[in-house]
Amino acid sequence: MKKFLMTTAMVAGLAGGADAENIGVSMALFDDNFLTVLRNGMQDYAGSLDGVTLQIEDAQNDVGKQLNQIQNFVASGVDAIIVNPVDTDATVAMSQAAADAGIPLVYVNREPVNVDSLPETQAFVASDERESGTLQTREVCRLLKENGNGEGAKALVMMGELSNQAARMRTQDIHDVIATDECGFIEVVEEQTAMWSRTQGTDLMTNWLSAGLEFDALISNNDEMAIGAIQALKTSGRAMDDVIVAGIDATADALAAMEAGDLDVTVFQNAAGQGQGAVDAAVKLARGEAVDQKIYVPFELVTPANLADYHKN
Amino acid sequence: MAAQDTNFERAAPKAHRRLPAELNILLVLVGIALVFEILGWIFQGQTFLGNVGRLKIMILQVSVIGIIAVGVTQVIISGGIDLSSGSIVGAVAMVSMSFAQSAEYARAVYPALTDLPVIVPVLIGLVCGAIAGFINGWLIAYTKIPPFIATLGMMVTARGFAKWYTKGQPISFPTESYAFLGSGMMPVVIFLIVAAIFHVAMKYTRYGKFTYAIGANPQAARVSGIDVERHLVKLYIVAATLAALAGIVVAARGQTAQAGMGIMYELDAIAMAVIGGTSLAGGRGSIIGTSIGMVIFGVIISGFTFLRLDAYYQEMIKGVIIVAAVVIDTYRQKKKVK
Repeated sequence: MKKFLMTTAMVAGLAGGADAENIGVSMALFDDNFLTVLRNGMQDYAGSLDGVTLQIEDAQNDVGKQLNQIQNFVASGVDAIIVNPVDTDATVAMSQAAADAGIPLVYVNREPVNVDSLPETQAFVASDERESGTLQTREVCRLLKENGNGEGAKALVMMGELSNQAARMRTQDIHDVIATDECGFIEVVEEQTAMWSRTQGTDLMTNWLSAGLEFDALISNNDEMAIGAIQALKTSGRAMDDVIVAGIDATADALAAMEAGDLDVTVFQNAAGQGQGAVDAAVKLARGEAVDQKIYVPFELVTPANLADYHKN
Repeated sequence: MAAQDTNFERAAPKAHRRLPAELNILLVLVGIALVFEILGWIFQGQTFLGNVGRLKIMILQVSVIGIIAVGVTQVIISGGIDLSSGSIVGAVAMVSMSFAQSAEYARAVYPALTDLPVIVPVLIGLVCGAIAGFINGWLIAYTKIPPFIATLGMMVTARGFAKWYTKGQPISFPTESYAFLGSGMMPVVIFLIVAAIFHVAMKYTRYGKFTYAIGANPQAARVSGIDVERHLVKLYIVAATLAALAGIVVAARGQTAQAGMGIMYELDAIAMAVIGGTSLAGGRGSIIGTSIGMVIFGVIISGFTFLRLDAYYQEMIKGVIIVAAVVIDTYRQKKKVK
């Protein structure tokens, strides 16, 4: 499949007109579910644009390899470069190499360390991690009010691995939303880690239940832990109607759980949208048009109401 | 023949003591549980142990690693170590689950092979584990490389295999009969069966006597006529097959298989064995001791959640408790020998 895509890209490149934009892309790695969707998003969007060709390379999670690829792109005179950084601390050298050669550069998905000091013709396209937990908790807050818990509600929080930035940020989002006036009625009664894992989510919830903890909602840093918690809740015989369970990621399993009526909220990070945004920015920069240096592709809230739009993906 | 018998007698731990060696660690377990009970009344105003739901989860949450620990205990008694268990859990979870998918799910790994009877994915998983164990054992017994290195190699390779198998994609939606293996208290039942079988094997059969003999003194074991190499291969096959069983159970329990499953399980399993009185020098240890070590882990995990201890403190305190438990055990063992 990879080879097929590359060949298609190259053949398309040969067929392109004289004023075509040739964009070099260095992906951190190909063997990643999320990044593959992002890569395919770039490919599909480029295919729909007239005269834009992509040359996609796999850095195989190797910083050195990625730098070589960028230097090769520079040497072969591409019109723009898109980088999905292996190591977000190694981007200063990449920005330097591209800027020296006068080639526009777009970082995608992972925030480069020099994001606030990028040269003029460089940009960063991603989703704002702060949105995910915020969207999730606001929806939980809304559902709690709808269920008549607006006077006072108790929530449990399941965190991802504690050393992980996404876990800290998403947990912070929860607290930030709860600190607002409209959602201040929510009280976090317990907050523990289940290491992003489904089985640990089950164990943690069972431990909570055996401690006789009362709660109206579970806010989990990801879907896997939320699904684990749902399994524990069902085993204990708790009716899933009177508890709100919220995750993040909109995985296939999570969408199935939502369809079954167990999961109430999840949040979708639009990988294909990020890929499209990156190609869009690269093309504009190559044509000398101005773009925002930070382009955020919004996270999307997934609830039973719009579940059908995501299920087919 | 007479010389051979004395050898085995000396190697077997029961010959030394009147009281079972496991008594020490059982006291540690009771001590830890009582501390949580008392702290529970002080800080939470409720009982820790007098709650059936909590007693169940205490065992349930550690029984998968307990299955691994039963195998790891035998390897450690023989003087070896097995670092590959956690990775075998991940690899076998993936392979086994790929043959256990329900036809209702449209994107199965093998769309033509869905809704198979549950025995198929289970057997495939166990055979994969046995092959990995054979490679471990063969390398250790016949190329004479240290067990640490051979199983470290398997740890890295099997984890790589788990990721490669579906290019990192999780595998979900098993058949109901497969999911049953991990439902409710099934993991505990499976653990109990496994522990009972190997308790008997280690205590009352030649298999166990050979294992203790090799761990206590491999030269003496060889001189007394044991085919040490052959027995080592057997032990590593047993350990890896039990890790594979754990992989099947954990996948069934979560109703999903992911390449990252089982990370660090090997170290928890080794810690359970060592807490349970298994000597890393070989020759000493028992399945009952390891089972008690396992329950200590479960009590600690549930106890922390019960006391609502801040998540950031939990791992630090868990490490201290593990070391303290072994120190107490070692100290009491020494006193008895004097």
